[in-house]
Amino acid sequence: MSFTTVSKGSSAKSAPSPAACPFCALLCDDLALRPQADSTFTVARNGCRRATAAYARAPLAPQALVAGREVGLEQAIEAAARLLKRARQPLFGGLATDVDGVRASVNLAERCGAILDHVHGDALASTSRMLQARGWYATTLSEVRNRADLVVVIDVDFDARYESFKRRCLEPRPARGSAPGKGREVVFIGAGKRAPEAAGASTTIACRSENLVEVLLALLASLRSHSLAARRPGGANSGALAALAERMRAAHYTALVFAPAALAEHREPAIAAIGDLVDELNRTTRAALLALGGDDGGQSAVNTCAWLTGFPLRVGCGQTLHYEPQAFATRALLDSGAVDTLLWIDAFGEQAAPPPGAPLEQTVMLASTRPSTAAQCGVFIPVGTPGVDHFARLVRTDSVVTLALQQQRDSGLPSVAGVLTRILEKF
Amino acid sequence: MLTRLKGGRIYDPENGVDGEVRDLYIRNGRIVDAPADPGEAKETIDISGRVVMAGAIDIHTHIGGGKVNIGRMMLPEDHAGDLVAANRHPHLGCGHAAPSTRTAGYRYAEMGYVACFEPAMLAGNARQAHMELADTPMVDKGAYVLLGNDDFMLRAIAARRDPEYLRDYVAWTLRAAQALAIKVVNPGGINAFKFNQRKLDLDEKNTGYGITPRQILTTLADSVRALGLAHPLHVHGCNLGVPGNVETTLETIRSLEGLRAHLTHVQFHSYGTEGDHKFSSGAARIAEAVNKATNVSIDVGQIMFGRTITESGDTMRQFAGSAYADPKKWVGMDIECEAGCGVVPFRYKNRNFVNALQWAIGLEMFLLVDDPWRIYLTTDHPNGAPFTSYPHLIRLLMDRSFRRDMLATLNPDAQAATTLASIDREYSLYEIAIMTRAAPARSLGLTGFGSLAPGARAHVTVYKDQSNREKMFAKPEYVFKDGRLIVRNGRVVTDVHGATHVVHPEYDGAIERDLETYFSRHMTVRKDNLRVADDEIRDDGRGELVVHPTRRGS
Repeated sequence: MSFTTVSKGSSAKSAPSPAACPFCALLCDDLALRPQADSTFTVARNGCRRATAAYARAPLAPQALVAGREVGLEQAIEAAARLLKRARQPLFGGLATDVDGVRASVNLAERCGAILDHVHGDALASTSRMLQARGWYATTLSEVRNRADLVVVIDVDFDARYESFKRRCLEPRPARGSAPGKGREVVFIGAGKRAPEAAGASTTIACRSENLVEVLLALLASLRSHSLAARRPGGANSGALAALAERMRAAHYTALVFAPAALAEHREPAIAAIGDLVDELNRTTRAALLALGGDDGGQSAVNTCAWLTGFPLRVGCGQTLHYEPQAFATRALLDSGAVDTLLWIDAFGEQAAPPPGAPLEQTVMLASTRPSTAAQCGVFIPVGTPGVDHFARLVRTDSVVTLALQQQRDSGLPSVAGVLTRILEKF
Repeated sequence: MLTRLKGGRIYDPENGVDGEVRDLYIRNGRIVDAPADPGEAKETIDISGRVVMAGAIDIHTHIGGGKVNIGRMMLPEDHAGDLVAANRHPHLGCGHAAPSTRTAGYRYAEMGYVACFEPAMLAGNARQAHMELADTPMVDKGAYVLLGNDDFMLRAIAARRDPEYLRDYVAWTLRAAQALAIKVVNPGGINAFKFNQRKLDLDEKNTGYGITPRQILTTLADSVRALGLAHPLHVHGCNLGVPGNVETTLETIRSLEGLRAHLTHVQFHSYGTEGDHKFSSGAARIAEAVNKATNVSIDVGQIMFGRTITESGDTMRQFAGSAYADPKKWVGMDIECEAGCGVVPFRYKNRNFVNALQWAIGLEMFLLVDDPWRIYLTTDHPNGAPFTSYPHLIRLLMDRSFRRDMLATLNPDAQAATTLASIDREYSLYEIAIMTRAAPARSLGLTGFGSLAPGARAHVTVYKDQSNREKMFAKPEYVFKDGRLIVRNGRVVTDVHGATHVVHPEYDGAIERDLETYFSRHMTVRKDNLRVADDEIRDDGRGELVVHPTRRGS
């Protein structure tokens, strides 16, 4: 399926429209791609390291494997259907695909009684759990860009992830704040020598990542005008925390930006503390949080699964739906041997290898790169990358904007949705 | 194939038919004239003694888009007690107040509904809203796009841009978002909350732009008139839920100066400040004003007792309401320089004075507004109650002794504060058919809907006539959509997809140049990427796009 957007009155003649990038949840839609002879692309404008590397990957040869043997696509689809029909308890893992891929996954899961989880399921599930436990006041990329006169970056290293966030949301001058045209201040809290600079922070409150929650709670205490017993809570300077609290109280609109996946085992208390900071500020001024996450189609998987089933991920299909945000973790299911068959999906090329312990002979792998284990899998079917090899819709990190990404090359590779729908037809 | 529905009692107010016993004929998805020889019918279904109406239409129900999905995600406890078993519907699903898309579609069809309209779609979230609607089976659908809190429009009004420029922007937005109508929520108030204003009256200035809700309302109502949209401006007014807001609502009606508008969930906007609790019913005053103002239609937003979740674009009012969240959690969002949302779980209690009086105010409104063509049956799903409570609501409207029995169970102070017990009116089947079929079809410009005349689409519901109207309306015996039997005895028998209804008014290309500049300077998505293409709705034949005419072409 390919859709073309009609741009009335466009003066551009031959220059292709800027492309939207599927390779992280920011979904930057202003990349200039230059096609190369080997079906790869160089990113001529507005790229980042991650996009540059991903667009430089050539599409796989459309060669499916069954138990390591080269077969046609139809044979592979039949083999996959046989394998899934025989399964006692299948897991659909990875789930790194677009909205249509998730729709097809849910439909097939209903037929096979499968459990659904995503490769970033740990971060996604604990974010969902915090949504269910307390909720929060959130914001979106364009609001941060235009309204936030103060941005507090909480332990996100923009050198490692979400590199373009700085260009798109931090560097432009806020336009719609109460003091439009004035600059914004960026404060960094967390670890790393280069991370504050990568965020363009003018102030840094350095602390080790494992002390982050303590520091955030000390900041909350300052904001509530409680005196701090510790001079260096969590190793941070209490005077600097008090000054930041003062600055936040005075700001028109504070955005607190974090990345759940980077918060590791402190994720839930950290999210709770960030939520509390926002709630405290909203008593008198305005503030909101922005979680950066849901890469590799994670945001699309959570949202699509939620509207189709009512539950975010880690849901199982049986006589009814079963929602088990902890028990249905891929790691736990594989370690306990609770699943005997795996459908592993990675259409973005970053997570192709199934996790250690996967029952490879009982694994159907749909991937856009070919990991070394591909030949050991029961079935391996190469698929296209959403928004590169086929039209795709993806949900952005803020769960508001959903982009339609146009096909960029003709590789002949099928989409995840296309393959899964054909497998379902065999049932 | 010609199908004959034999001997039913027809309630078809669009064509003035009130309980007449006659046969209906269906061919190729349409109602057709009776043939000279009834024997021509290949299939005859005997529905003697049954009540027959067109398929029902819900003009205001939150069934798709970001805030609805947040509601689903944050309430696993809502779903746990309401899981749909594998053999119950064609697909699994769940949910009471925040059902999954498929479950919502199947349940609507099982109650005889054939079309549902999402009233609060954001342009920036339109693609997701349409994907959710695409995954809502059985019913036709459409959405109203939010304007009047977006920085682009407020800036244009503040800069005193001419009305034609604003109309072009409204038309562009309708087209980009694939919407059927325009909705405004707390005009300028969602935007003002981003500037830390905590309340905004009709004539109070938004500090960011120096313009008032009245200016925004009249600008939008005028744009809708000039574009010639069938559905008038859909208005969620200022001060939702605030005691004393009856004055705001009355002034809002006056502010329209004869321009057409639809005031939605007006129950939440009809509160006075009298009595010991400083909370009283303003329903009689609003109903009187609505009876006089023929430019105005309303829907009620009836509340029902029990657990639900409130999902609204009105961040300003949801922030205030979050203090009453039950369970204690809520989500608020500032969204894309365009709008916002607030999602607050809530439990309406019949022993609580305010909740009990809200219930009574909604019913007073239904019973005191004279013209059923200008009042539509809603609970503002799920904000007042889940849509599955409609049959109960119909019984309350049709059965005064039942209504009085229910009233007697409520908070005693609330019983004393409402005139409900003294109102004798009972809705007739004809009036129910108006407010759930014919009137919403007319209001939305849905040709072929809400009618059983030859040529109309064969959306037909057949009910067993029972004195318990709740039982009757909960489980139609037959539901036909486009002539296909989709529900039998309250169970889905055919899984179908509905069409999406939109308008595509023309606009001057100059607005696109300004928007191009605006988007490239301020937004984090390119203008052309906001636009939902026709083929995305059609989705390789899975969906269907119905473009309704406007004065500016289609």
